[in-house]
Parts: sequence; C-alpha cells; structure tokens
Amino acid sequence: MNLDHIRNFCIIAHIDHGKSTLADRLIQHTGTVTDREMKEQLLDSMDLEREKGVTIKASAVRMIYQRQSDGEPPVDYEMNLIDTPGHVDFTYEVKRALQACEGAVLVVDASQGIQAQTVAHLLAAMELDLTIVPVLNKIDLPAAVPDEVAQDIEDLLAVPAADILRISAKDSVNIEEVLQEIVKEVPPPQGNAGEKLQALIFDCHYDPYKGVVAYIRVVNGTLSAPAALLAISSDKRIDPIEIGVLTPAPVKASRLTAGEVGYIATGLKSVQDLDVGDTVTLASDPAAEPLPGYEPMKPMVFAGLYPTDSDSYHDLRDALEKLHLNDGALTFEPETSQALGFGFRLGFLGLFHMEIVQERLEREYDLDIIFTAPSVAYRVVTTSGSEFLLESPADLPDASEIERIEEPWCSLQIYAPSEYIGPILEMVTKRRGRVVNQLWLDTKRVELSFQIPLAEIIVDFYNELKARTRGYASMDYVLQEYHASDMVKLDVLVNGHPVDALSIIIHRENAFYKGQRMVSKMKEIIPRQQFVVPIQAAIGNKVISRANVKAVRKDVLSKCYGGDVTRKRKLLENQKAGKKRMKMVGSVEIPQEAFMTVLSLEDE
Amino acid sequence: MSFLFTSCAPKERRLKANDRLGWIAAAGEGPLGLYIHIPFCARKCPYCDFNTYARLDPLYEAYTQALCREMGRWAARLDGRTVDTVFLGGGTPTVLSSGQLGRILQQVHERFKLAGGAEISSEANPGIEDQGQFALLRRLGVNRLSMGVQSFQAAELEFLGRIHDAEDALRAYDAALEAGFANINLDFMFGLPRQSVEAWNDSLDIALDLAPRHLSLYSLIVEPETPLAHWVETGQSPAPDDDVAAEMYEVAISRLREAGYEQYEVSNWVQGAGFACRHNLLYWRNQEWIGVGPGAHSHLRYPAGSEGASTGERSFPFGGACEGVTGSDAPAAAVRWSNVKGVQGYIRRVEADESPVSFHEALPAEVSMGETMMLGLRLVREGVPFARFEAMHGQPLRAAFGPSLDRLHDGGLLESDGERVRLTPRGLLVGNRVFSEFVA
Ligand SMILES: Nc1nc2c(ncn2[C@@H]2O[C@H](COP(=O)(O)OP(=O)(O)OP(=O)(O)O)[C@@H](O)[C@H]2O)c(=O)[nH]1
Ligand code: SF4
Ligand SMILES: [Mg+2]
Repeated sequence: MNLDHIRNFCIIAHIDHGKSTLADRLIQHTGTVTDREMKEQLLDSMDLEREKGVTIKASAVRMIYQRQSDGEPPVDYEMNLIDTPGHVDFTYEVKRALQACEGAVLVVDASQGIQAQTVAHLLAAMELDLTIVPVLNKIDLPAAVPDEVAQDIEDLLAVPAADILRISAKDSVNIEEVLQEIVKEVPPPQGNAGEKLQALIFDCHYDPYKGVVAYIRVVNGTLSAPAALLAISSDKRIDPIEIGVLTPAPVKASRLTAGEVGYIATGLKSVQDLDVGDTVTLASDPAAEPLPGYEPMKPMVFAGLYPTDSDSYHDLRDALEKLHLNDGALTFEPETSQALGFGFRLGFLGLFHMEIVQERLEREYDLDIIFTAPSVAYRVVTTSGSEFLLESPADLPDASEIERIEEPWCSLQIYAPSEYIGPILEMVTKRRGRVVNQLWLDTKRVELSFQIPLAEIIVDFYNELKARTRGYASMDYVLQEYHASDMVKLDVLVNGHPVDALSIIIHRENAFYKGQRMVSKMKEIIPRQQFVVPIQAAIGNKVISRANVKAVRKDVLSKCYGGDVTRKRKLLENQKAGKKRMKMVGSVEIPQEAFMTVLSLEDE
Repeated sequence: MSFLFTSCAPKERRLKANDRLGWIAAAGEGPLGLYIHIPFCARKCPYCDFNTYARLDPLYEAYTQALCREMGRWAARLDGRTVDTVFLGGGTPTVLSSGQLGRILQQVHERFKLAGGAEISSEANPGIEDQGQFALLRRLGVNRLSMGVQSFQAAELEFLGRIHDAEDALRAYDAALEAGFANINLDFMFGLPRQSVEAWNDSLDIALDLAPRHLSLYSLIVEPETPLAHWVETGQSPAPDDDVAAEMYEVAISRLREAGYEQYEVSNWVQGAGFACRHNLLYWRNQEWIGVGPGAHSHLRYPAGSEGASTGERSFPFGGACEGVTGSDAPAAAVRWSNVKGVQGYIRRVEADESPVSFHEALPAEVSMGETMMLGLRLVREGVPFARFEAMHGQPLRAAFGPSLDRLHDGGLLESDGERVRLTPRGLLVGNRVFSEFVA
C-alpha cells in the first residue's frame, strides 16, 4: 500500500481511562471484526487481562478504514493500532509501542481528568516526536466535566480546548471523528520500500506450533514471504514459516512493506535466539545497520523465585525464558537458597509486574512457585573500596566488611484532589519521604512531588495511596540516585538456624517493628512440631524479637470407625501432601507461605 | 454388572440375581460384620456430624420396612456366609418402637446365618424411655450395649445439647444392668471448650465408680458444617484447646490404667478379657463388613487370587466410571461403598428395587495396605501383627513399608516385639503423624 495511506498509532492513557474500549470501537467501526466475534476489550486477549480488566501487554491490530469525504471517491487507509497498558509498572511496554508509531491518541477520562500516567506517557510520546491526538473519553458519565478537563489538556499540550474531540467509547459517540482526526493529523510513515529491509521487532511471544513469533514494524524495504532473514544484532538466521498481519487474529500475508506492521512466525524453538528491539533484514541483501533498539529497562524490584517442588526447576527455567520473550522487562538469574533449594533471582519493574509474572507462571505454565520478599537493589561499598549492587539480602557481606550501604531514591509525583493533601503527606513522611514541591493544577487538584526511598514505595504504597484517597490519587515515579543510608540486614532464625530466604535489608528505624511482626507472623504460620521451636529476629548477633512455637502434645484422630475410613484416610493424605510441600530448615518444617509473609505483613 | 451403581449406571439399576459383588461377599472366608444404621435421634446434638436426623418419626415405619428389605437382599447374596458380629448403630436405635426394633432384629436372626456366640451390639442414649427397650433388646439377642453418656457435668451436657442430665444417664445404666446386660460401654467426651481438667476428673470418678466393662473416651472434634463449628467461627464458643485436651487424654490414660482398664484402642478401654468390641475390631483390623441403611459403608476384600484382584474394569464389580472411584488402574485389593445419605432417598430406592449405593471406590493394594496400617496401629496393644499383614496382603510388612517403619522407629514413635509393630506411648499421642506415613 502507498505509504500515504498508512497510519501507525497507539492509544495511550492513564489506567482505566478507556484505551481498550476505544480500540474496540475503532475495530468495530472499521468492520475489522464481525459483530459475532466482537467482545469487550477484544485486544486484552490474556485470561489475566480479562479477569483483572487491565491491559498488561501492548497489542497490535491492523484495520482498513474507508474514509469518505465530500465529492471524492472513498479512500482506504491501513490503520495499524497498538493498544497499550496504563499501569505505572508497564511504562516500558508503552515506550516500545510508541517507537513503532508516528502518532498517539491520548485518551483522558473526562470525569477523572489528567492523571499521573497521562502525563508520563504523554512525555514519552513527545520525546519520540509523535503527533498527539488528544480525546476526552467517557463524556456520557454524569460526573464528567469535559470543559474543565479540556482546559487542563490545553494547558498541557497547547491545543485549543475547543478542538479536542469529546467521545464516549462506551456509547460509540464520535468514533468516526477519531479516525478522521488520526488520518488528518498523524503523518504517514516515512520509510522507503525500495531500500534494504529493516524491520523492528517490537514484541515477541512463543507459540508451540510456530515457535518464536516476532511482531514487527517494517521501517524500510519490503519483506516477502519465503525469504531467509537475519536478525542483525544477534546475528541469527531466520527461515520464517509465515509472515502476516494481525486482524487481530494472525492472517498470512505474502508481503509487508515499509510502514506496515505485522508478524513473522520464525519457527525458532529456542527462545534465547531472538530479542525484542533487534532489527530483521534480508539474509541475501542485508542492511548494514540495525535500527536504534530499545534501551534495556532496569528492573527496580527483585525477589527470589523457587519451585515448590524442586523437580520442576527445569520447567521453571523454561517458562521464564518463554515469558521473558514476551516480557522484556523481566530479568532472571539462577540463585540458591539453603531453605528453598535451586531457584532464580528475578527483577521486575514494580510489584504489580511481579504479581503479573507470578500469575502468568502459575496459569500459563501451570507451575507451583514461591516468591520471597521483594527488595530493591542496594549499592554496597566495602571497606576495601570495591562497590557492587546487591540484589539479594543473602549476598550481603559481613558487617565488618561493609563501608556503607546506599539505597536508591526516586522522585515521586502524586496527582490528587486537594482535600487529600493531609493524608498523602502523612503516609509519605511515615515512609521517609520528603516534600519537594506542591503544584496546583487547578482550584481542586494538586501535583505533589516527593523524594522517597524506592524501597518504601514498592510494597503496598500504591494500595495505601488508593485507600487513603478513595481511589482519586494517581502516582508516577522515576528512579534517581543512590544515597548512603543506615540499612541493616534483618535475619529470621528458626530453631537457631537463620532462614536465608527470609532475610531482608531494611532501614534500622524500621527493623525493630518489622522484626516483631515477622516473628509473630512466623509463630502463626509454622505448625507445631514435636518439639518447641524458638523463632528469633536478629540484626547481626543481636536478637531483637523472639517467640516460641509450642510443641504438639496430641495429634491423633480420636474416632475412626467403619464409616470414617475413606474420609479419615483422605484427611491423612492431605496432611501428608501438606507436609511434603513444606520446606525443611534444620529439622523444622516450614510451610511455603512463610516465605511470602514479608509480602503480606503490610496488608493488615 | 451389578445393581449397586445407581449414580453411574442408571440403566443397570434393576437388581440382578447373580452379581459379582454378591459373589465376592459370599466367597470371603474371614470374619464378617453387619452394621445396621438407624438414622434417627430424639434431637440432633450440635457437634454431631453423623448421618442422623431428628423429627423423622413419620418415616420410622417405612424405614423399618426398607431396612428389612435391604437386609433381605444381602442375606440372599451372602448365600449362607456366617456373620460374626452385628452392630445396631446410629443415631439412637432405641427411638424406634418395640415393634420396629423387633422386626429389624428378627430379620437379622431369621435371614442371616449368625455365628454361634455372635456379638450383637446396640447403641443407646439416655433420656428416652428405655427400660422396656433394653429388656426387649436383650430378649432379641442383643448382648452388648453402648451408651452415649458424654459427661456427668450439667454445664457440659447443656453445651453438648444432650437431651438428658447426669441422673438420666445413671438411671439408664441401672436399667441396662437390670435388663441383664453384662457387656456395657459408656461414651464420654473431653476437650470441650471451657471444660476444666477437674470437671473431667469428676466425670471420670463417677464413670469409674460405675465400673462398666468398656469405656470410650473421645476428644471433641469440631466437625465442619455443624452448629458447633458455626459457634466457634462466630466466637459464640471458644475453640477446644488442644493442650488442655492433651492433658485430659493423658490423665484418662493413667487413671484408667490404675483402675484396671486396658487401653486397646486410641479411644477405647476395656476391663476384663473378651469385652473389647468385636465388631469394631473388624474395622481396625481392616476386615470385612456389610453396612445397611442410609450412609452406611461396606468394605469387602477380594478373595486372594480371585478374578477381582486384577486391574481395570474387572476390579469393579460395578462397571462404568463412577464418582469417588480411586485407583482405577491399579489392581484392586478391596472395595468400599456406601449408600445414599438421605433417608427418604434410601427408602425410595430400596422400595423401587434400585440400588441405594451412591459412592464406591476400588482400593488398590497399596491403599489397602495403608489402611491396614492406619487402622491397625490404632490398636494400642495388638498393633499390626506381621503374620496377619502378610496373610492379608500377600507380602511382608517390611517389604511394603520398610523405610517408613525404620524412620518412625528411629523417631521413637513405633516399636516392635518381633511379632507386631505398634505405637509407642509417645507415638500414640501423635498418631496422625505415624498414620500419615502409610497413606498415599
Ligand atoms: N461510562 C463510560 N465508561 C467507559 C467508557 N470507556 C471505557 N469505559 C469503562 O472504563 C473501564 C476501563 O476501560 P478500559 O477500556 O479497560 O480502560 P483501559 O484504559 O484500557 O485500561 P488499562 O488497560 O487497564 O489501562 C471499563 O469499565 C470500561 O467499560 C466510556 O466512554 N464511558
Ligand atoms: S445422640 Fe449421638 S448420634 Fe444422635 S445426634 Fe446426638 S451425638 Fe449424634
Ligand atoms: Mg486496556
């Protein structure tokens, strides 16, 4: 197709502002999917996305839009849309999608107004010089205040408030206008179909039949069906099984030319062979240079991951490799724990990301897993002057070898109605945060800026913020520099043995309270054994909290007669299965959930 | 294909004369028990999860008839095989009229071939008109009576929702003696919420004064979906305290020993040889019994070398796939099944000549061996004799469970005198940890 008749755009917004719903309407309006195949948030194809009502993965779809204009014959446009996630943890996903587009539709909920990711994603799009098409969504809501929000958008984008489209994705109001606007405003792609092939891999997933499937944007040149290809950076040869476009179901195509978006089913079975951000070219006539790829994301949060059953270690590794293909922000390295055996240290963009990875491993790969407490990466400077990043508490050297520990701080922006300033300040200061700025967005809403240790916001900060502001606040944060801090390693000892997987790095001020909480929680979780089990929390040699799990005195079914045998046998079978799932530390059986306790300590 | 499997083979519901299950039942050579369930009580106790119902008086007559009918069928299938023990349980059998009780027991005597000196037990609860009933039971050949006394403390009886007080229990015990019962068991419960060790000792004092031949002492279990469970969940009652219950159990063990009782099972004591409940011993020895009435369970072993002791479909005398079936691939060593729980459903099916069975499982050899251990180890003195295990399962106990036996022995939970393996006193207190070693 003529490049002038192609538009590549994504939809960006704060979480829940209606991106996926707008995508639905565009898909329907262009007749891309029949009414029978249509369902809500069609592009949220993962079970997890559908269940949570949240987009996790960016996903692409090609639509053919027939533009009618007065007095002229209708013209077909190829519209390549990428729907993106809105959650703060998935900014990486958004950035990759942006790179495959010339324009971005910025959706703003007319009742909620500009929120943290509205701004964050907008800035990311502007950095790449994308054309922004702002739309006000949900004008059908009684609580919508489109005039006010339009004004805010004008202030942000310097687009006249009156020109901003007002739509309802839910009720299909002004959908045609959105398409018109995209065609009018978003420039067609620039590439040259005659040049050597350069196609950017912006996403991948693993398909059991087709091997690694790469989603690509052809930037230059032409990709025709059976040609042998080369991934430039990894220098890997690809003999594609098929190429095609997403409608959103994959449909074979014979060629993809510059400006177009589609997929290559590579047939590669080994998932390490291909990287998102790499450039695909023709093996017979390769382009000299790869396209600029993606900046690798630095994970912010780390946690240990172990199979509950050590036999499934290899399955777990396999699953992680496949998941990584589809989730470039996830990092993993092998690690071992005395308590939990062989596992991995994973890096995530945030706690929600960690939660999603956990659920995907459990569902898509049917694995039983344990995560240990999440932690940020600390910088450790040793007395000998060397320096390293500590991702696991277990790797902390002896106190005598440590010169200082530095922890990562970040800048945090919170957008909220002004009546919540008090509660927000209170929770941020409680978590060692400092106020940097307070900016009035309008008469009712403020943007608060803080500096705060990253460790303080990874666990449950977002939930607490939501709770304290009845869901009205939103936040964004950016990692900044490291600062020396009085961090200590808090160990939990069970029957005198330190349980490595339970150690955490924590600020000294919080250690005492946390130690007490961990001990009392462990006391609840560890079942009574045949002997008394002391539990202690300690910093170095100093015990700061202790409790005992009493010994079992009696554990025997008092009745078992003819009618009970099956039921009682099953009871014992369950008891035994439960025991099998426990981990042995010394001679003590510790249930797996104990290793997750630190995660749940904040919930209460 | 047998008539048994209503839930999985509706078309096969009609009774057939020469069914395989009947053949297995008739072929067995060991002792056989007959359990007769009476699913009625004057009032439902709030902790009780037995299959028993209050206020079903209008069904007594129809039920008696259905029960006799089911017994008649079994008698025919057993084809003259001797029945060694009969247990009339529930429920409270004595809520039935003397006419109804009479018909049930008459059916037992007339249709089954009872062994000479067969043990015939009945359960009873104080608080209902019993003098006449006890005498009747005696006349009908019942030679063992088991009474639910539970406690002699007014507050505890109230909490347990019992319909009787301590006086009623004493009167009932006297009535049983008067009726001529020499073999009487009294049931007690301990570890009740708020029960003190003194109060427990007090009940034990009175019980020991009465000096029954047999005592059953049960630690209260909060069974799910009972009113008691609801009270505990909602904080209307504290949960039983395990440590206090443990202390009461230990107190009981030592006091009964001093009083000359022998603890022959986890919760059962006997004074004098020959008074252990022979019917219950069948359960603990993993032997065979037929249960009749709603919710009643049955258990039969495949005769060694029989066609039944093979894999796949042939291990199911019932055919087809049925809910509750386990181990369908492995050779079956035994089979267990149970009847529908509802009284009306039971009556309807039996009267329509349909099978009342609603659950069955074929037990592969390993599962059956595990059951032999989990049941047999409950017998504190007898334990699991090596010889009997081998005769029953065709392989030595050590071959089946050597490593587990060693581990438990080293942990001080099991002991052996060369003829048997049994729990140590410490193993008795944590029996579940021992039993669970032997299940899947
Ligand atoms: N009333 C109203 N509700 C809408 C409209 N558009 C979307 N919604 C609702 O808003 C909620 C969020 O919509 P989504 O389309 O999933 O939002 P999203 O931006 O894709 O959300 P994430 O992918 O999680 O960031 C859903 O319940 C939609 O039904 C609209 O125009 N009016
Ligand atoms: S008398 Fe016995 S069987 Fe009847 S309800 Fe009470 S505890 Fe249950
Ligand atoms: Mg979405």
